[in-house]
Amino acid sequence: MSARVSFLLLCLLAAGPVVAADPPEADPAGLEHFERAVRPLFLQHCAECHDNGKTEGGLSIASGAALLKGGDSGPALVPGQPDQSRLIEAIRYKNRDLQMPPAGHLSAADVQALEKWVAMGAPDPRSAEEVAHPRLTGMTIEAGRAFWSMKPVSRPQIPQVEREDRVQTPVDAFVLQTLEANELAPAPPAGRRTLIRRATFDLTGLPPTVEEVDAFVADESPDAFNRVIERLLASPQYGVRWGRHWLDVARYSDSNGLDENLAFGNAWRYRDYVIDAFNSDKPFDQFLIEQIAGDLLSDANQETRTATGFLVLGAKVLAEPDREKLVMDTIDEQLDTVGKAFLGLTLGCARCHDHKFDPILQSDYYALAAIFKSTKTFGDSNTGAIKHWNEFSLATDAEREALKPVDAAIAEKQKAATSFKTTAMGKLRASARSSAVAYLVAAAGIRPGMSLKDVEPVALERGLHPRILHHCRLHLSYHEDDPLFERWHDLATAGDTDGIERHYRQLFADADAALAEARKADPKAATLTDPGLEAARSALQDPAGFLALPPQPQFAFDATTLAEYHRLSEESRVLESGAADLPSAMSVADGTVVSELPIHIRGNHRNLGTAIKRGVPEVLRAAVQSADFPGDHSGRLELARWMADANHPLTARVYVNRVWRWHFGGGLVGSTENFGQLGDRPSHPELLDWLASEFVRMGWSTRELHRVIMRSSAYQMASRHPEAAIEEAADPENRWLWKFPMQRLEAEQIRDAILAVSGRLDDRLGGKSVPLRNRQFVFDHTSIDHTKYDSLRRAAYLPVIRNNVYTLFEQFDFPDPTMPTGSRSSTTVAPQALLLMNSDLALDSAETFAKTLLDEPVTDEARLLIAYRLALGRLPDAQEIVQARAFLTDAAATGLTRSDAFDSSAVLKAWSLLCQSLFASNEFLYVR
Amino acid sequence: MMIHPRQLVSRRRALKSTAIGFGHLAFSAMLSQEGRAATSKTTTGSPLPHFPARAKRIVFLFMKGGPSHVDTFDPKPLLDRDHLKPPPFDLPAVTFAKQGNLLKSPWKFRQYGQSGLPVSDLFPQVARHVDDLCILRSVHGTNPAHGGALLKLHTGSDQFVRPSLGAWVSYGLGTENHNLPAFVTICPTLAHGGMNNWGAAFLPPSCQGTPIGTASQPAASVQVKNIVNPRIDPALQRRQFDLLAAMNRRDLEATGGDSNLEGRLQSFELAFRMQAVMPEAQDLSLETAATQQLYGVDDPVTENFGRQCLMARRFLERGVRFVQVTHSDSEVQWDQHGDLYRGHTKNAAEVDKPIAGFLTDLKTRGLLDDTLVLWGGEFGRTPTAQGTDGRDHNPHGFTMWMAGGGVKGGFAYGATDDYGYYAVENKMHVNDLHATILHLLGLDHEQLTYRYAGRDFRLTDVAGRVATDILA
Repeated sequence: MSARVSFLLLCLLAAGPVVAADPPEADPAGLEHFERAVRPLFLQHCAECHDNGKTEGGLSIASGAALLKGGDSGPALVPGQPDQSRLIEAIRYKNRDLQMPPAGHLSAADVQALEKWVAMGAPDPRSAEEVAHPRLTGMTIEAGRAFWSMKPVSRPQIPQVEREDRVQTPVDAFVLQTLEANELAPAPPAGRRTLIRRATFDLTGLPPTVEEVDAFVADESPDAFNRVIERLLASPQYGVRWGRHWLDVARYSDSNGLDENLAFGNAWRYRDYVIDAFNSDKPFDQFLIEQIAGDLLSDANQETRTATGFLVLGAKVLAEPDREKLVMDTIDEQLDTVGKAFLGLTLGCARCHDHKFDPILQSDYYALAAIFKSTKTFGDSNTGAIKHWNEFSLATDAEREALKPVDAAIAEKQKAATSFKTTAMGKLRASARSSAVAYLVAAAGIRPGMSLKDVEPVALERGLHPRILHHCRLHLSYHEDDPLFERWHDLATAGDTDGIERHYRQLFADADAALAEARKADPKAATLTDPGLEAARSALQDPAGFLALPPQPQFAFDATTLAEYHRLSEESRVLESGAADLPSAMSVADGTVVSELPIHIRGNHRNLGTAIKRGVPEVLRAAVQSADFPGDHSGRLELARWMADANHPLTARVYVNRVWRWHFGGGLVGSTENFGQLGDRPSHPELLDWLASEFVRMGWSTRELHRVIMRSSAYQMASRHPEAAIEEAADPENRWLWKFPMQRLEAEQIRDAILAVSGRLDDRLGGKSVPLRNRQFVFDHTSIDHTKYDSLRRAAYLPVIRNNVYTLFEQFDFPDPTMPTGSRSSTTVAPQALLLMNSDLALDSAETFAKTLLDEPVTDEARLLIAYRLALGRLPDAQEIVQARAFLTDAAATGLTRSDAFDSSAVLKAWSLLCQSLFASNEFLYVR
Repeated sequence: MMIHPRQLVSRRRALKSTAIGFGHLAFSAMLSQEGRAATSKTTTGSPLPHFPARAKRIVFLFMKGGPSHVDTFDPKPLLDRDHLKPPPFDLPAVTFAKQGNLLKSPWKFRQYGQSGLPVSDLFPQVARHVDDLCILRSVHGTNPAHGGALLKLHTGSDQFVRPSLGAWVSYGLGTENHNLPAFVTICPTLAHGGMNNWGAAFLPPSCQGTPIGTASQPAASVQVKNIVNPRIDPALQRRQFDLLAAMNRRDLEATGGDSNLEGRLQSFELAFRMQAVMPEAQDLSLETAATQQLYGVDDPVTENFGRQCLMARRFLERGVRFVQVTHSDSEVQWDQHGDLYRGHTKNAAEVDKPIAGFLTDLKTRGLLDDTLVLWGGEFGRTPTAQGTDGRDHNPHGFTMWMAGGGVKGGFAYGATDDYGYYAVENKMHVNDLHATILHLLGLDHEQLTYRYAGRDFRLTDVAGRVATDILA
């Protein structure tokens, strides 16, 4: 047996039931039926997706054996048993979840032909060799255990290197080893101004102040930079910057996004938890456990419960009418996030089938899914079709009581707007009815397709509502067969408007009289017995009849009424937006514990397979044992502890790689969320393992990790290499780190730096900052964007609104807040330039900056020195001074302004333009 | 095979970092070569387009909320016969709301044109173009809620954030005008998926749609964000751009040259040109009075949508690859759970003339031959009543239509059942619709892939079949 054949056999064995090698002998009549009736049907209707190498749903129809083996849902045929054969079930089109062919059902004759064939025992002359399409299989469990990221973390020896003078921390030994092996030389140390700017942006997201730069430049002690690192790590702004990194991974958002964009009015508590965790250097293992299972700890408290917001923050299809689908989709989102965030595993890929590349089985997926199925992510309440996510109430009875009048006030405001609208519509309807005859007369003077513009003068002349008249004419043409309007059409064609007037005035009067008469007999009488009069009566009353009002207030109301309606609506919205919420935190809780969950075949919750017990992925069980999953809890705590185990091969590797990425702009493993087969391989595997083991040894302290990295020569290198051409030829992507990578500032850094330099930044920490009430619609069908981004607090406190991310964020590569992101892109696109040149943020900040400079009682040249030091951390050279002064003179002289609202002092304007140019310059935007 | 040549991967990386555009705008001089080269290859290395394109550009007239197919382009005589009777068929396992009895259409259908295809009285003017329409009567989706259905229609996925159809088209074909975005969406709705419906997700940001205003703004006043400096004159701003360019050139020398820094220098020049080109493209006052009337710009009922359509034509003419216009409003759009008659009457009156005028105009200018026009909503409506006078969401079978670029005119494709609830003949899933659209643009939906997080993604995921019967 060749290796290839035995491999194939292995796959088949692994895939399920053993397949007979040859089809059974069949009688000639059966084979003839196959050739005459069945094979053509297969070719015409099935082959496109299930033959010639295509195996949609895992099914090939290329041979009898393939049909017996079937697809993901099991065998396609039971020979002799049409009623038990999925193939027949599918073509009968009775089961809405299983209908083939997808383009439409077969004719009754074709269905019979296939039923007959199966009943005959499914005779099939095609040999099993035609099944030459083994399913794509992932890595085996054994191969997986030997895969680099799933092997236990090693503790490599610190290598000896030639350039020992450059070794400041063990990091350098590993980096230099690789450089030397590739005959590359590291760049010289960065200058002091560059280094402090780099470290300050890196750790706090802000530029250094002039004083901080001066102090560091003047400090000649050997540990000067270490002391800078300590000062920055001690700053609360450190947590704002590094907490934000984790929020990228946690797909943090202040709104649900996806289908129904409701505000996550309490997400900020999770955000503040993360920022606090970094500021207090919470050990990462504890940080992990709290986010997955903080509610289940023996000492669970408000903080640890808030941490589980991590699991609730995903974008959910809140209006999904199929509850079971919603639950499974939400679990999928949670597994995908947990896998990518902590383990670098794309677990979501195993929902419908075994992972195609990694050693993750579909059974592993459902073993984990069972844990989350036992977890409560949704609350018990809803807003119409929209389900609510789970929250943990922190409110006291007094707070609940205090909020009641607020809720009542909001409801009252809403009611005021609605009833104003109803009343105004009612008045309009009454007035239209009293002019019913006039509308019919006027309608005779216009054509059905006539534009509103042309209808308008006709209507206004007679004191009628143009849109009602416009609709009236359309209605008459839609209903030309309606007996009520037959006379109208006859008379209108004859041009007899007087006739219309006479006829309908009489008719409506008769109908009124008849109703009055009927009510004498029965005060509750609502309809008339005479069909002609009843038609007239009901047409007058029909809200969708010939006198239908425009459905929208802006088309129905006059300007004054409309303004009042808008005022009332806006009042209600503003009151709601600003109203306090009951204190509560987004969090999960244990739900009904299920100890096992069936495999969902092809991910379909209506197609269930083998039940799987809760557990952790098989490939990792050898490295770390998980505790037993208790019958009375979801098992999240056991899962979290298993993930945070010191011996887990992935958790520490994935996290130290993230931290490295956030310092250097690129990971040792480039694919920060994927440590699997399709992810990148580590550039420095030994360094990665050393860092991971050191990190665990140091008690999972992120701060210690910063020290090890930032105290290294590698971190302190210049971003420019004296022999760049040589190094570049050997390593164009700087994979071996022969220089420090220049990095463009991220969205938040750009904004915060502009505000900081212009003296506008408000650097207070914490608290609710999204201007929406919990579960309030961010956008409903009106698409009006009420979210404001004019706060001057740090960008980490600006609202993150899914489906409509703040323009500055969106354009400067803020990550999609629905998926974990450890490595943001850094793009250069023209809208970034438009934003820097034309936005209020840039213009206002530049103007404030310019005013500050002009307030200084010094010469223009001295002002330029201040400007450069504030914005770029250095002094301008002589040439720059000349250039800037020439620009100032020139710009002030042109005196061209577009808006009078702008303070048009020509000098201020010129200085503003100069300051803005500094903000938009590459030297400002790129950290060297 | 799924494994890519390494150099393509790194080229894509390079593109990701230096980008080609106005998230939106293809880059200028230095990078435009690169941009073109990049868009001529998919990640699997097949040259683009994969086969001759029938359409060079596409415009999607999106009717937000779900217009009723049984009241517009898919007449059902049995509904008249069985009006108010209980439906004689099984309802889906999950419906959005409680379903009532059958409800006949309040509008009459008439036959039009050589083809004699029926159109209801809601669209008398579009009906005159029926011989150019390819009416797809068997479209079906999976999601009965607006958000899910919008996302499915625009991105192929109602569960995850995925690149939009327009982003895939931009990714595959790029733009023909390097001062304008490849993908523009006029007055899009921010509800129900919002920017995900025109987003690039993991595709390069240059593929993302450029929104021009939102559905809450009148089309007459919409603009691309930050397209104009509100405080200074362009002549003065030119001086500022020159100062900035000088600063950046100096920095470029000091750093020994860097493609990122150089790219940004170029991006500012492109932005400056954009400031002039974009408003010109949007300026409808440059059109004759006759053209404006053709679109109904002079009539308050049709003005807003007429402006959108006319703007769309101007973008298409200037080489924009994908233009979407959205008919939405501040109330309930085409979502007539109740009050079907008034709501649909109003909606149709707002779009009928502009669409008809748009088709006429495209034809007169010879643009219709290679422009694919797509019309439709995120789903249709049930033939059963909701309440007494409304219809519920129906993703199980509904109508969209195409015109122009490579499709058969005067042709009806597929069918729903006798009552219009389910697509039954030549069923066209949203994935199939996407596959067919890409095909018409010369793209093979199975070849147009992008590798992200270790997987090759497609607009059609693992599904999608081209409806070859509709190709002209």
